[in-house]
Amino acid sequence: MNKLNQLAEIHQSGKPYIIYKSQKGFNLFTNFSQKIILSKKNIKSFLNKKNRYKSKNTDLFIGFFGYELLNNLIDIKVPKQKNFNFPKGIFYKPEKKIKLSNSLRYNKKSYESGNFKININRKNYRKIFNRFKKKIKSGETYQIKICTKYKTRSKIDPLDFFSRLSSTNLAPEAFMIKDNNYSIISCSPENLITKTGSNISTKPIAGTVKKTNNLNKLKALNYFRKNIKETKEHNMIVDMERNDLSRICKVGSVKLSKQKIVEEYKDLFHYVSLISGKLKKNIKNLDIIKAMMPGGSVIGCPKISTLNLLNNQEKENRNIYTGSFGYIKFNGDMRFNIIIRSILNYKNISEISVASGVVVDSNANHEFNENFIKAKALIDLF
Amino acid sequence: MIYVIDHNDSFTHNVVHQLALFDKVECDNYNKVSEKKIKQASTIVFSPGPGSPKNYPITTKIYKKFKGKKKMIGICLGFQHILFCEGAKIIEQKKIYHGYQSNIQVVNNKSLFKKGKIFKVGRYHSLKLKEPFKSNNFEITMRCLNSKVAMAFENKKEKIYGFQFHPESFLTVNGNLLIKKILST
Repeated sequence: MNKLNQLAEIHQSGKPYIIYKSQKGFNLFTNFSQKIILSKKNIKSFLNKKNRYKSKNTDLFIGFFGYELLNNLIDIKVPKQKNFNFPKGIFYKPEKKIKLSNSLRYNKKSYESGNFKININRKNYRKIFNRFKKKIKSGETYQIKICTKYKTRSKIDPLDFFSRLSSTNLAPEAFMIKDNNYSIISCSPENLITKTGSNISTKPIAGTVKKTNNLNKLKALNYFRKNIKETKEHNMIVDMERNDLSRICKVGSVKLSKQKIVEEYKDLFHYVSLISGKLKKNIKNLDIIKAMMPGGSVIGCPKISTLNLLNNQEKENRNIYTGSFGYIKFNGDMRFNIIIRSILNYKNISEISVASGVVVDSNANHEFNENFIKAKALIDLF
Repeated sequence: MIYVIDHNDSFTHNVVHQLALFDKVECDNYNKVSEKKIKQASTIVFSPGPGSPKNYPITTKIYKKFKGKKKMIGICLGFQHILFCEGAKIIEQKKIYHGYQSNIQVVNNKSLFKKGKIFKVGRYHSLKLKEPFKSNNFEITMRCLNSKVAMAFENKKEKIYGFQFHPESFLTVNGNLLIKKILST
């Protein structure tokens, strides 16, 4: 049986499965023997649990940590917010792994949806923006990302959406989860943790520009270098990620392996850096997650005071947005992304969250529009 | 041993790694400071951090208690904090520097560094020292080449040093040398 037929069959059987971008194509994980719903109470024991490594390619847990859970883990309070009781985190133990190619052809299915509504209008966005700008002037934060949310009633087929999304935007950290009562479709471009043995790296993105006929890779690099605002935002993220790795890495091992380079994707250029280090001895999974998450590039800087400012401002739970999806192998290796550019489907509602940064020289109107452009790439799938 | 007092910053561990090239380093949050470690330390370092010195009364107490008894170094907020304890006003500046690389110059011949020398450094600060500022034994030794804002002070007599910029940032060229020189006094 060919692999695409296998995918179609698994999809139609209705059993839960996960697809995650690999270097050459996608990996599909299914036949879950365990499903662990994470909470404040069990997350530490989940991360500290030792699992026997039998060198099978399914010796791993794959799933996600939501934003609130990652705050709980580093003792940051999230006040009571509007939420629809979506789990704070879920991990699965797969028993089957299938390799798929990059082209996930799938026959379009019909779907229903309403019109997307935004939770913060332009006027209120400006108010929040100005409040945060004052906080930058007084030094409480140096950079902060305001999150806006778009929601609609819908009934969709996640594989249809994911295959269409992947055909236009083959993002390096793309993933899809289909479970009985929810699904997530994501074209995340950003890797937060790659750990192999004692080597660990993170690859923050700060700066994105859309491809045009006139803009090649070299011109994109020049654009980023000349843009002082993008450069300063990027610098801040680089120093912050160096810091987070330094918490868990050996002295002198944290290196800026790639400094401010441009990566080319189908429709856009990203301004990225790669920071890597060697883990200290006796560092546990829990230490790594606590040091690195939630990923700084989508929060702002410095992390703790900025998280507190955000949490006191935001009226709605972020759910998966700016959490992390990925896997932890039984031998301790792991790979996690940052959950951005994603659609969460739960209780017949589709939700898309986006954010863009406030630094001292940003402009409220521009950032509001930027948020809309980011959301539109996903809204256009409906 | 160097004891770093962290003010919840996202750059503190870069400071720790830089200092650890030269000596054993311990680091604790400002509200979890250990009396025992402070007593053992030969140098106390006040980390960068968000907000203003007046938000951290515990740090003020530590500074006043150990001033003159141990070497002290302040970075960014820590720089402002030491000056604040010496009676300075720390104020908002019109142009804000976050993630900014600028040229600064040694402006004082009482400095450990050669007068006139220029350093390329990384900056992350909303606030600055209000001048004129005067306090016994404290000399402003470096300034921003463009804005003339105070970038370093030295108090050689009581071994108290401070940098408004970030010697640990990847934007600072030769930051290790700056720290090494201060630590070896």
